Amino acid sequence: MTIPLRELTIKKVQEGLLKGEFKALELVQAFFEHIQTRDPEIRAFLSLDQEGAAREAEAVDLKIAGNEPLSPLAGIPFAVKDNILIKGLPATAASKILEDYVASYDSFVIQKLKGQNAIFLGKTNMDEFAMGASTENSAYGATKNPHDLERVPGGSSGGSAAAVAAHMAVAALGSDTGGSIRQPAAFTGTVGLKTTYGSVSRSGLIALASSLDQIGPIAKSAEDAAIIFNAIRGKDPLDATSTDGNYGEELLNPNFEKMKGLKVGLPKEYFEGGLAPEIQSGIELALRKVKSLGLKTQEISLPHSKYGVSTYYIILPAEASANLARFDGVRYGSPKTEKTLRDLYFETRGHGFGPEPKRRIILGTFVLSSGYYDAYYEKAQRVRALIKNDFEQAFKDVDVILAPVTPTTAFKFGENSDPLSMYLADIFTIPANLAGIPALSLPVDKNFKGLPVGFQIIGRAFKEADILGLGQFYERLTA
Amino acid sequence: MSSPINKKTLEHLAELARIELTEKEQGKFLKELESVLGYFEELKTVDTSKVLPLSGGTSSLNIFREDSERENTNQGQGKKDFPSDEKGFLKVPPVF
Repeated sequence: MTIPLRELTIKKVQEGLLKGEFKALELVQAFFEHIQTRDPEIRAFLSLDQEGAAREAEAVDLKIAGNEPLSPLAGIPFAVKDNILIKGLPATAASKILEDYVASYDSFVIQKLKGQNAIFLGKTNMDEFAMGASTENSAYGATKNPHDLERVPGGSSGGSAAAVAAHMAVAALGSDTGGSIRQPAAFTGTVGLKTTYGSVSRSGLIALASSLDQIGPIAKSAEDAAIIFNAIRGKDPLDATSTDGNYGEELLNPNFEKMKGLKVGLPKEYFEGGLAPEIQSGIELALRKVKSLGLKTQEISLPHSKYGVSTYYIILPAEASANLARFDGVRYGSPKTEKTLRDLYFETRGHGFGPEPKRRIILGTFVLSSGYYDAYYEKAQRVRALIKNDFEQAFKDVDVILAPVTPTTAFKFGENSDPLSMYLADIFTIPANLAGIPALSLPVDKNFKGLPVGFQIIGRAFKEADILGLGQFYERLTA
Repeated sequence: MSSPINKKTLEHLAELARIELTEKEQGKFLKELESVLGYFEELKTVDTSKVLPLSGGTSSLNIFREDSERENTNQGQGKKDFPSDEKGFLKVPPVF
């Protein structure tokens, strides 16, 4: 039989497995066959693990044969961004400097998913060290948007988003530092969740900016995103910022009647021009649909969000310049010389890093340097506090915030070759990272023909249940 | 206004960051950094006198872990990733 890969959600896979429509091993083989035909043109994956995936699938089939209970993610084929460690598999973060690196341990999120017998098909392409918004910064070549091969899939989690959009995995993991889950989700018509800072452990994630990075799901639906989020969240002793949060039943079983009572904030600054016409009309459609569900809306103001890009591109390079110091040819990276230790550092880093990591390390070193620290880094930290305060004020009046994800739909390769214009692609996603709050990127209309348009639902810290619940409520309209 | 990064400061920053830059990269970065730093100028207009710097994404304070012995430190696995080692020690080229 042919398994309808494009129809599969987490629950449909488990139904199929339990009803005996297909075995987990058959499912995995079907995915690899599809990857072999589709991925040569998309290039979502950097490496595949057919052996490991087959082994885990057989374990799931044995459980089913033995009538053992299945975890919610048992047998679900995942794609995993290549900056998340899976023991024994490569983790290059799409950088030449980690070309030969093989992970020596499982990240916390992978331990959690393995505990549920999830299956990992392979590691996905990204912008080098998650620095970018298009995957064009990958040292291994760009990923293409499954909806239009001349366009980018977004980034930095572009490979993960493209893999889900092209039905080469049921779901994926990405990481979001300034929009790296939500923007590619919007560009590829998938659902992406940026989780509350501290809700998911960063242990085993190759660090970009530690005060901003969060791992989260890219999936086919808000329901799938909720199931995955619930599986990977929680306190981890190896990440001191992680916490269990106070999540109740409604994270997995939203009460739609209660959802009608949520008040939706519309930040006027996010709608003041600068939106491409497709995005403008998409957002208006999303807003009409949300209103048709019975929710009340209210205009709000987030006056400092417009400084988000400047603030972010000071804080991020500062943190990244420290985090990327470990790639020195000694602890990580392939040494390029046997002369002196100093030469080894310079040559390994000079040859191993691509242009964007170099640019950001230099910029980060600059904003932290004596004489400039106060004017740049400390100033940015203060503006960050103002951006966070804006959200706290707004959440006194409203429960969730509706906003665009991106100023445009997926752009063409090479269109944003100037770094500053690429940085501006993150203008609507960055504020949630700076404030540490959760945000969901959702397709406006799943059945829309043409380039996908997404919108964002931003929630209070640790209130993923609100945005995922509203997301599921919204999806019932388009289903 | 003129960019605070000139060729000399760029060379110094590359030295601090231990990154070898080619002449071509230097020229390109100077131009790009000038445009990015120019964009940052907008922050000067923001009144930040009434807020304290926010350093992180979490408001948690004083997070401690149990001060106990850990049996599995994964040292052997980690060592395998080093390019070179001898008798359980990392081997690196001479410092001088």
